[in-house]
Amino acid sequence: MENTEQNVILQSISEGVFTVDLDWRITSFNRGAEEITGIRQQDAIGKYCRDVLRADICESGCTLAETMRTGKPIMNKAVQIIDAKGKRKAIAISTALFKDSRGKVIGGVETFRDTSAIEQLRKEIAGRYSCEDIISQSHIMQNLFTILPNIAESNTTTLIEGESGTGKELFARAIHNLSFRKDKPFVVVNCGALPDTLLESELFGYKAGAFTDAKKDKPGRFALAEGGTIFLDEIGDISVSVQVKLLRVLQDKTYDLVGGISPMRADVRIITATNKKLDELVKEGKFREDLYYRINVMKLELPPLRDRKEDIPILVEHFIARFNRLHNKNICCVTNEVTAALLSYDYPGNIRELENIIEHCFVLCEGEIIEVKHLPSSVCPVLKNEIAQNSEPATIKQVEIALIQQALKRNKGNKTTAAKQLGIDKSTLYRKMKALDISKPES
Amino acid sequence: MKIAIPVYGEYVSNVFDFAHKLLLVDVENGKETNRSEIVLESKFLPQRAVQLKNLGADVLVCGAISQELANMVLSSGIIVFPFITGNVENVLNSYLAGQMVKSEFRMPGYRSGAPRGLGRQRRCCRWQGGRY
Repeated sequence: MENTEQNVILQSISEGVFTVDLDWRITSFNRGAEEITGIRQQDAIGKYCRDVLRADICESGCTLAETMRTGKPIMNKAVQIIDAKGKRKAIAISTALFKDSRGKVIGGVETFRDTSAIEQLRKEIAGRYSCEDIISQSHIMQNLFTILPNIAESNTTTLIEGESGTGKELFARAIHNLSFRKDKPFVVVNCGALPDTLLESELFGYKAGAFTDAKKDKPGRFALAEGGTIFLDEIGDISVSVQVKLLRVLQDKTYDLVGGISPMRADVRIITATNKKLDELVKEGKFREDLYYRINVMKLELPPLRDRKEDIPILVEHFIARFNRLHNKNICCVTNEVTAALLSYDYPGNIRELENIIEHCFVLCEGEIIEVKHLPSSVCPVLKNEIAQNSEPATIKQVEIALIQQALKRNKGNKTTAAKQLGIDKSTLYRKMKALDISKPES
Repeated sequence: MKIAIPVYGEYVSNVFDFAHKLLLVDVENGKETNRSEIVLESKFLPQRAVQLKNLGADVLVCGAISQELANMVLSSGIIVFPFITGNVENVLNSYLAGQMVKSEFRMPGYRSGAPRGLGRQRRCCRWQGGRY
């Protein structure tokens, strides 16, 4: 085949293909490679492949180097890269030797395809999110990130408190993934979703004949989590009888199967979570005090989204990227008015609610930009009432005034906290207040 | 002032998110006074950003960096010079000479401007890199 014919074929396929010489400098770079990496051919040619591909294996186990060393091709290795826009992408790469017409090795060839959408869908189906999915730049969250590795290493029982939708399970997974138990199972049990009797057999398992229809032995969630971590969500909803049994697991590291006669050992780390105030339940006599102190060795309090509003823009961007993949759409952003409305809303359902709002917008939006008309009615009134009272469209100045006034009102005039919530520096807030003639609200 | 540079051998590491080692250089009056190298153990991004902050870094000179990690580092008040490639000593000397923007150290695909989604304050004061 002529070179021109080869070029036509290479340029027409969606897979990325590049070749390198023996000094690891790129000698050819097709259109698929341009699309996946976001780097143009003319910028890539002559550069080191590690500066172009930017993969996690470049420094720890380059597959192309291995192929060059062994002469053996490698197929479909899962790799992560950072593209030119700073986005993480999952790709599958294959490598082979690049030889001239006389069979002399003149370099290597690497082909790769973008598997980000498949990975995302796999994650959606399995419901398996990892610590990499925690997105935040807020100061409150950064404090939590500081102590997270220490908690993970400690192997102690941990209680995660936070309103519904604040990401308690994600944090539990992060603790598991950062601990020495990371290669063992992570088992989730939603205690609030199971009736009392069922919860006991689910947690501890049962022996054949323990009750009607118990025809054979069934391992419980503790047995399934052996060596790993069990995450007991909605722990505040469990009955007193299950509380007693859990207390025994925590104290003696043993439990009894329903209908069993000898105790079972449990090498499982327990992480619990609740959206209730357990100390108040203890005072009301609904939760055992001794169990409370057992599970409350380490406590993480996750802030509601209304206290970390500086994260809303990056969360919106994250959800747009995710729903673009799921719904096969190409929405790029939201208008300033939508951002203003989203920042003004208080999110009783927290991040899950924000996610639902963006999904709602995706269903209604047929273009590339999400507008106010696509927002659910629960979010719109905030903007309509406070900014866009008339049919006149809101200007950026009006939006800024409304947002700053709301933030000051919310924080009882405290400018430092208001600035943090708005995601701007305190001096910027002072400057904007002066420029927009905003006075401090009367307390 | 403390400058942090993720390194791989004698080169700037190609991606900060995946880097294994970090070079820390103390600088006073434009002169290097001390240097040390530490291992970046965790690939957990928030922890990586927090570690950088706890080490007292004022400036991060790095190769590619994901948007998520860049946002976390920037919110710690650290100045970021991203998309830098080349020999560590050359890059460091260039930084100390105030010539960090020399194109020879820019990774392919670099475009001048500001990263999408970051505020005006960061755009002019904190982010010293190109457009995402």
